[in-house]
Amino acid sequence: MNLKSQRRNTIRQVRLTNLCIGRPVLLTFILLICFARSGVVQDATGADASTQLVSTVDSTDVPADIRTDIRPESDAADGSASPVSFTNDVVPVLTKAGCNAGVCHAKANGGRNGFQLSLLGFEPQEDYDHIVLEARGRRIFPAAAEESLLLIKATGKQSHGGGVRIEHGSDEYHLIRRWIQQGAPPRIENEPELLSIRVRPKQGVMRPGQRKTLRATALYSDGTKRDVTRMAIFESNDQAMIEVDQAGVATAQDIPGKASVMVRYQGKTSVFSAAIPLSQEQFELPAEKNFVDKFVFSNLKTLGIPPSPICDDSVFLRRVTLDIAGRIPTTEETESFLHDTRPDRRDRMIQSLLDGPGYADYFANKWTALLKNRRDSGTDILSNFAFHAWIRDSLLANRPYDQIVRELLASTGTVLDNPPVAWYKRVTDPKQQIEDVAQLFLGVRMQCAQCHHHPFERWSQGDYYSLTAFFSQVGRKPTTVRGEDLIFHERGIAFAENVKTGQKLSPMALGDSVGEIAADVDPRLVLADWMSSKDNPFFAKALVNRYWKHFFARGLVEPEDDLRDTNPPTNPELLAALEKHFVDSGFDLKDLVRVITQSNAYQLSSIPNDANLADRQNYSRFYPRRMQAEVLLDSIDDVAGSRTSFADLPLGTRAVALPDNSYNASSDFLRVFGRPESSSVCECERVQSANLGQSLHFLNAKEIQDKLVAPKGRLQTLLDSCESSEERVTQIYLAALSRSPTADELGTATAYLQQSRVDEDGKSIDPQSAEKESLQDLLWAIINTKEFLFNH
Amino acid sequence: MIRLNCPPMNHDCRSWTSLSSGLVLLVLTLASSNVSAQSVCLPVPRLLTTMPMGGQVGSEFEVTVAGELLETASDLVFSHPGIKAVKSIADDDETDDVKTGSNTFTVSISEDCPPGIYEACVVTSYGVSTSRIFSVGDVSELVQDDPTTSLDRAKRLPVDSTCNATVPVRAVNHYLFAAKKDQRLVIDCLARGIDSRLNPVVIVADSQGRDLVAERLGDRLDFVAPDDGDYVIKVHDLTFQGGADYFYRLTIRGVVGDHVPPPPETTKEVLQFSWPPHGLSAKAQSNEASLDDQSHADCSTAQRISLPCDIAGRFYPSADVDLFQFEAKKGDVWWIEVASQRLGLPTNPTVLIQQQNAAGKSETWVDVAEFSDIASPIKVSTGGYSYDGPHYDTGSSDVLGEFVVPADGQYQLRLSDLFGGTRSDRRNQYRLIIRKAQPDFALAGWALHMGLRNGDRNVLSKPIALRPGATMALEVAALRRDGFDGPISLSMQDLPPCVTAQGIKIASGKSRGIILISAEPGAELGWTHAKMIGTAIINGKECVRPCRLASMTWPVKNARTEIPVPRLLEHVVVSVGNAEYAPLTLTAESDKVWEAVEGRKLTIPLTHLQRSDFSGANIKANTFGNGFESNPVFDLPLKAETSKVVLDLAKLKTPPGDYTIAFYGGGVVKYAPGENGPSSPSVGLTAAKTKKIKTVDTVDIMVSRPITIRVLPTDTSESTSKSK
Repeated sequence: MNLKSQRRNTIRQVRLTNLCIGRPVLLTFILLICFARSGVVQDATGADASTQLVSTVDSTDVPADIRTDIRPESDAADGSASPVSFTNDVVPVLTKAGCNAGVCHAKANGGRNGFQLSLLGFEPQEDYDHIVLEARGRRIFPAAAEESLLLIKATGKQSHGGGVRIEHGSDEYHLIRRWIQQGAPPRIENEPELLSIRVRPKQGVMRPGQRKTLRATALYSDGTKRDVTRMAIFESNDQAMIEVDQAGVATAQDIPGKASVMVRYQGKTSVFSAAIPLSQEQFELPAEKNFVDKFVFSNLKTLGIPPSPICDDSVFLRRVTLDIAGRIPTTEETESFLHDTRPDRRDRMIQSLLDGPGYADYFANKWTALLKNRRDSGTDILSNFAFHAWIRDSLLANRPYDQIVRELLASTGTVLDNPPVAWYKRVTDPKQQIEDVAQLFLGVRMQCAQCHHHPFERWSQGDYYSLTAFFSQVGRKPTTVRGEDLIFHERGIAFAENVKTGQKLSPMALGDSVGEIAADVDPRLVLADWMSSKDNPFFAKALVNRYWKHFFARGLVEPEDDLRDTNPPTNPELLAALEKHFVDSGFDLKDLVRVITQSNAYQLSSIPNDANLADRQNYSRFYPRRMQAEVLLDSIDDVAGSRTSFADLPLGTRAVALPDNSYNASSDFLRVFGRPESSSVCECERVQSANLGQSLHFLNAKEIQDKLVAPKGRLQTLLDSCESSEERVTQIYLAALSRSPTADELGTATAYLQQSRVDEDGKSIDPQSAEKESLQDLLWAIINTKEFLFNH
Repeated sequence: MIRLNCPPMNHDCRSWTSLSSGLVLLVLTLASSNVSAQSVCLPVPRLLTTMPMGGQVGSEFEVTVAGELLETASDLVFSHPGIKAVKSIADDDETDDVKTGSNTFTVSISEDCPPGIYEACVVTSYGVSTSRIFSVGDVSELVQDDPTTSLDRAKRLPVDSTCNATVPVRAVNHYLFAAKKDQRLVIDCLARGIDSRLNPVVIVADSQGRDLVAERLGDRLDFVAPDDGDYVIKVHDLTFQGGADYFYRLTIRGVVGDHVPPPPETTKEVLQFSWPPHGLSAKAQSNEASLDDQSHADCSTAQRISLPCDIAGRFYPSADVDLFQFEAKKGDVWWIEVASQRLGLPTNPTVLIQQQNAAGKSETWVDVAEFSDIASPIKVSTGGYSYDGPHYDTGSSDVLGEFVVPADGQYQLRLSDLFGGTRSDRRNQYRLIIRKAQPDFALAGWALHMGLRNGDRNVLSKPIALRPGATMALEVAALRRDGFDGPISLSMQDLPPCVTAQGIKIASGKSRGIILISAEPGAELGWTHAKMIGTAIINGKECVRPCRLASMTWPVKNARTEIPVPRLLEHVVVSVGNAEYAPLTLTAESDKVWEAVEGRKLTIPLTHLQRSDFSGANIKANTFGNGFESNPVFDLPLKAETSKVVLDLAKLKTPPGDYTIAFYGGGVVKYAPGENGPSSPSVGLTAAKTKKIKTVDTVDIMVSRPITIRVLPTDTSESTSKSK
């Protein structure tokens, strides 16, 4: 059935699903489409509005709300048909046609060719003024509506840089023409306000290749509903998993998992969530060690994705050490762990790593980059070191996350007395402050809402400036340290002005009222209270999602700092459980790490089975990832027995313990491998992708070569020992890969070490030198393996 | 001005020791003033480090000192008589002479010397050096000879001991101590508080060196051992700076029962000079209720007080607001003073006074006054390119202000800490005083810094170590209390022989004064613990108040790259050296009181006694003196042996009265170290040009001897004239 046909008076046979009954009932009924203004489609049986219509379309179930208000499409020449609403009818047409897209007439600073529209029609009143009142009114011509510039440009009748956006004679064309004929009113009498939209179905299971037609319904303030499928915009959150066209037909792809389609209509959004199963039925799931396993494995079961088996001890040890402490295990740790036969040895190792300073160093490295601990001048060193140390010590002491954030947000004093004040040195503008806070701690990206209503979210400019109001009473005084202010709470009633409307706004936390804030109460403390309240929908969720991604390479929501209704999690039950656990634990970060890493889900092998290779979001196996720049540098040092010297720091300081970005300038390695410059709150600033520079670096960088032949390094130590070639090979494997070589590997490597070698002139070199060179080669070869470069 | 009976200028009254070899003869090549690429300030003795930095009561031990211009060190002196030092005898010196160059002293601390911090100075032929803090403790002391930069080199410390050490650059010192499970220990690392450059980081780790807890703000680390065994203490600088200047005293003490050893004493910041007000009792009259762990953030639990009051309280817990309600009468004037930062705490008190709504709605309060911060009485350096004020901030974040009651009624005082939003520290106490006006003042002074050239950011520590013939200027700031507006006279007492001090009084309503300290050319090597005082008439009574002396803890060459850290000194040491003369002595031709009639011009002939060559032909001279600062800058010729300064009293609008003035300006001395010790103090360049020596252009402030002038009223002068 062609959906377009629904707009005509037709009689159709459809299958009706009565939601109250809960089972499909095949009925035949007549759809009587009433073209009266605000007409409502009613079924012949007079079914309740909650009845959902499902029609069979190309073997796809198409749900439809039977109480649907479909705009009349008769087009009286004199425009005497039902009045057309500029806001509710015309603007959606312009949006669907792309006229008010950011690259077209909604382009900032003037739009296109002197014609400006608000982005995606968020400001209908402004759009009306632009269309009707600007350009001396030549954009519309009520006396001969079809000659209006608005129409002749959009239909391509006159040269238009954007091409043909509306077909001449189409419904959209007629609708606009009729509005012009009616005198282009800014509004019509008793015009309802759009309250929300909803998509049907809301969720569903789609087999690969299956198509499903989505239907969008707008709900208005007068209680009416309207099918806006045609005017709505459909977007997939992952084209590789689900595709959708602008008629709302979604098609599942071959990759199993959860995907969604966002439906937008006039600033309102709704989401269709699809589960695309692999549909394997017979497989075993590992035991559930905690709630993480419960929800991960339940999801896998639902999707029919068989998980890989639990990884072996050496893989686990290397993985968990890299993930918690940002380093590879020492040979001693490996040997000890591999000889440990206690059943709880993995849990013990996790606890040991959490108790160690490596955890604090590694996660401080993560947070300081996100909190922009950036060195812009030499005098920043004191504040940067102090700030890094504050975070590191807070993590070492396992201070509750909400407390850390509170101390940061509401910090006062000087950097030396109170290091979190350094954040206010880096982030000085209240707008930047709330954008960073929202993205980093709440997983909400507010940047768009500074200038216009957020296109994918519910955040308005009012929400944006209400949030900045929390930082409106941050007082600053100069200190003796150049470029550093003393921060204090400046007494007064907090407010911020909406730059567009001039309205003075009191602090509001993403739409939540926080009550009246007295003049001598620091509003930042109120914000911190709101954030750390148990029922805050963002704070804990954002953190657990960020940490989940740290351990699983992919967040339950991606990107990890973009939590929104239109970007649903792949496993909402797991996300909710993690969030609850984190809140209940008192925002205990170590406990969160513990519960994640103790799960069998975390300890699955990275080697895919026959079925789960395509899975990339359901954690049916561990997703390997290249070591971060700092971790990789440290690991090479650990394997080679060398040390990297960093300015102003003791020799032996590990790269993961570097306090700020200044070391990138002097380290080709860190730069090439993507260490961030601490200029963004987005983890995406860290580049994890591969590039030619990285390969070349491993191939011929002097830095790498020097490390391999460090005078007191591992290689020299091995050469100085009386150990056999086999033992030397084993030691290198244990150090680099946290495992002993296989028999094949041992044989191959030993044979290589025992080969005679010739110099450039083809002359044999002495066995001792030959062995040294061969050992260098072996070491170099091993650090070039993916097994070494990746956490797997 | 006090005049001592000193030898005449050409009388060699001193017994020279190992001084320089006579009169320096310089080639005078005068050119236009060139002030680039110069050293700043003539060399002065500075004691920069002692090792150890203190000792145990009743002990005797060796102390090695180091610093600038200490080659001729003869004595190590302390601010407490119970601490004495004798220069150590060189082992290999058969003549039993003192060690030369090693600067090692045997120090003894008497049994009755209370634990605390004192000041040590070195006596040299250039005078007495700047001071260093010398601590006296009551536990055993260790001196770390070698750095312990790795775990395997960790030094074992017994509990209840102090280790004196320095940390190398880019390094961490390691120590081991043993503790029993649940044993509580407190670890103090004194550094900034004893003049060190170190921003100490103290970490306690397990025996494997795995960090357990860290303290990076210089605070005490309170540690309870989780198990029996050895633990490691790591000490390093926050930014891993190091060297001899990065010294510390690491003390580890066990806590027995509930007795927690008090934290060690530390130096005071300059802003603390104004606390306590004169005559204030050490203990407050009453306590704010949170001292008993009760919060009063809610209006319903405001503490009822009656004025005047003197209350001790604390900003605790975080975001604490203490409320005090009182009744007041219209027109009453109350002075409100809060001390917290001046107690040495990292706080920023603020006071808001609200009036109860007249309609009788008890919960409605209307803001009527707000107090925050005590502004510095004189402008503080902004650290800009040009010198625009001293680096001594005599303001504070405490509160001192006047509250005039606008109407009869009930009032509420809200006291909170602007820094207290997230900090919850029981130690953050305050003292709130509400009183009727008790006009008073507090004084702090320091060696005058002068902008010698733009872009020069030196902030040097300067001892009051005078070259004979020199005049040194101290800048004095006055914090006025409770509306006191009268003039404040400045003076010094207990000066060495042949040293005089003349204060240029702080005029009514002003906050800045100058003290000029002059050593006669014939002054002999010597030093005293002197006193600086200010005197004012308040309510008809003469009130004498001490003037606290402040100094930089370190000579900072570039204030942009190193933050100057000033502190209050416990003692005012004034000394005269005998190694060199002042390069230039400027005096009025006569010691008389120079008189002039109001509105006329006053010509003062000056005598220049120049003992060094100078770069440039003139010194751009300014004038000290109340109302004379606006005297235009004039050229003081360096070639001439005399000059005349004309003061246009009409332009200056100088009212009749007695004044002390002086002239000063930056001069570039062609300084030859050790070569400016003439055999006769009165011999100037005219007789000193016979040999060429290597010199260093050194810019310094040249200050004339104080000159007393009297401006006579017109009619008086006329009558005097007639009578003559």
